[in-house]
Amino acid sequence: MAKKNPQPELTDELRDEYRELLLDHIMKKCLWQFHSRAWDRERQNENILAMTTELLCGTEVSPATPDERCYYVDAFDLARAYRNKFTWLSELSTDQIREVMAALKTKLDHVTIHGSLNAELTDAHY
Amino acid sequence: MPYHLFKCSETIPEREKHAVIKGEGEDLTSALPLGYLNTIPGTLSERGCAYCGAKHVIGTPMKDVIHLSHGPVGCTYDTWQTKRYISDNDNFQLKYTFASDMKEKHVVFGAEDLLRKSILEAFEAHPEIDRMTIYQTCASALIGDDMEALAAEIMDEHPEYDIFVVNSPGFGGPSQSGGHHKINIAWVNDKVGTVEPEIKSDYVINYVGEYNIQGDQFLMHDYFRRMGIQILSTFTGNGSYDDLRAMHKADLNVLECARSAEYICNELRVRYGIPRLDIDGFGFETMAGALRKVAMFFGLEDKAEEIIAEEEARWRPELEWYRARLQDKKVCLWPGGSKLWHWANVIHEEMGVNVVSVYTKFGHQGDMEKGIARCETGALAIDDPNELEGMEAIEMLEPDCIFTGKRPGEVAKKVRTPYLNAHAYHNGPWKGWEGWVRFARDIYNAIYNPIHELSLLDISTGEIPTDVGFVTRQMLSDVNLPDEIRNHPEWREYTGDYDCVTPLMDREYPDYPFTRGEASDGEKEPAA
Repeated sequence: MAKKNPQPELTDELRDEYRELLLDHIMKKCLWQFHSRAWDRERQNENILAMTTELLCGTEVSPATPDERCYYVDAFDLARAYRNKFTWLSELSTDQIREVMAALKTKLDHVTIHGSLNAELTDAHY
Repeated sequence: MPYHLFKCSETIPEREKHAVIKGEGEDLTSALPLGYLNTIPGTLSERGCAYCGAKHVIGTPMKDVIHLSHGPVGCTYDTWQTKRYISDNDNFQLKYTFASDMKEKHVVFGAEDLLRKSILEAFEAHPEIDRMTIYQTCASALIGDDMEALAAEIMDEHPEYDIFVVNSPGFGGPSQSGGHHKINIAWVNDKVGTVEPEIKSDYVINYVGEYNIQGDQFLMHDYFRRMGIQILSTFTGNGSYDDLRAMHKADLNVLECARSAEYICNELRVRYGIPRLDIDGFGFETMAGALRKVAMFFGLEDKAEEIIAEEEARWRPELEWYRARLQDKKVCLWPGGSKLWHWANVIHEEMGVNVVSVYTKFGHQGDMEKGIARCETGALAIDDPNELEGMEAIEMLEPDCIFTGKRPGEVAKKVRTPYLNAHAYHNGPWKGWEGWVRFARDIYNAIYNPIHELSLLDISTGEIPTDVGFVTRQMLSDVNLPDEIRNHPEWREYTGDYDCVTPLMDREYPDYPFTRGEASDGEKEPAA
């Protein structure tokens, strides 16, 4: 569902500013992004942020399996916190929300996976 | 990279990469110390060994088990009663500790006969207990006693017994964390799936990485039970051996201490398809978030909201009383592995204190990732600190209180820095709403303890002055508070009971919601 009164333009600068606010919340309040191995972090980041994006855009999400329900509760918790904390989200269009969330996903993957200094992420065993 | 080399460690330059100061604009791609590596020779580490990690941290909180160490008596003695993981069966696991008492002659001639005798003696001495864990130590590992074979023999001879063997000698890892790993994997390999449990509710969880320190698990159990959720097993505080053999039947693993128990959650997800949900049980906002998430997994949101509203109303005025008096106090979070990240953000936001340092004795880089991410800029993060580094950090940061273990804590007291026992707590529980207020009270009592005024008096010369230095905590804490804070009509000090957990054991709850079929008869499969 499209939001009313979208901002006329989401500049790169503004998108990055929003992205950092959203990222800071995840890093300070959440734990799901810090599973112990790279493949688990990829799975967590992908599924939870995808569902969060849909929730923020007003799209219904219907988790079917236990795994999906688990992603969903973290996504719902995150979307609720974002709405309460960042009132500017309600001013963005769904396309703009998707753009910000895509930037967030890229940055989160970088900080927790691809740019991470954690030497245990690629250990083949738990 | 913002590494920090302590002056006291200049002769151990490798230590530089084990400490960082989180600078402005830095993130985990630029500020993360090394971790989970062998302690550098020459540094006086505060770590425990892998045997301690397996036995003392993970194994012995199991309540209905004889915990027997196959080794010298000192190994079991030194890991006995230093951590208050209580239980609802009269604390059997705290009252007793068992050892085969190996001596030099057994190292030469073997100790399997001694172990057999010890196992049978222990079972005979406690006929009410028919479950046992046996912990390998350095000595028994080095001589190669086949503990599994012996345990299998005894279980064949006595089918009523079930025995779990943990091969985690002290040298089996960089720290106690190596032992956490070994016992996690051994339990899921050897014991999970060997008992079919009685399912009583439509909503069934394993509560993992919870050790019931001073009753944490009792509080958390109360919340889950009020929502109608059955805790099938707790890994391992107040946990029952046979319940933990049935972990494969839960719908969800709720994980608290990921440092010590994420391995078994990961394996349960891969092998049995049980998802893993990480929660924080410390703090009001985090506790509410945890209940909301678990509730939402099962569709019990209304139940969670009822509990959250009730607990908030009961405890918020008391947390605010302490928050007003702890504002801007500097604290160091120096626990073992996980509490640095459980506490780092929420203690700053909900108690008003500033976290100036985090350290971990045995944590991995993953723990530092969480801790550093949750700290504010300027915090000093240290991996596997040594005692001198701790002292230097205290001099540099001048904290008002540090939360750590007894050994470094007692050292800190010598330089008049109060400490709280981060491992076993002072006056816990510290989880849940009431627990968080008790934690705030402990911090308040530590920082404003009048002993710090008295200890400044020099009584070595002349008469002991009796007219100075005698104050109360509140005289110290309230001296600069404005009237509206000091006399706030709603805020108050902690009003709970000295023992807030024993009454929970007798609390009555409605029947579990159970619609998915007849409960099993609860019979256990024969011991493996």
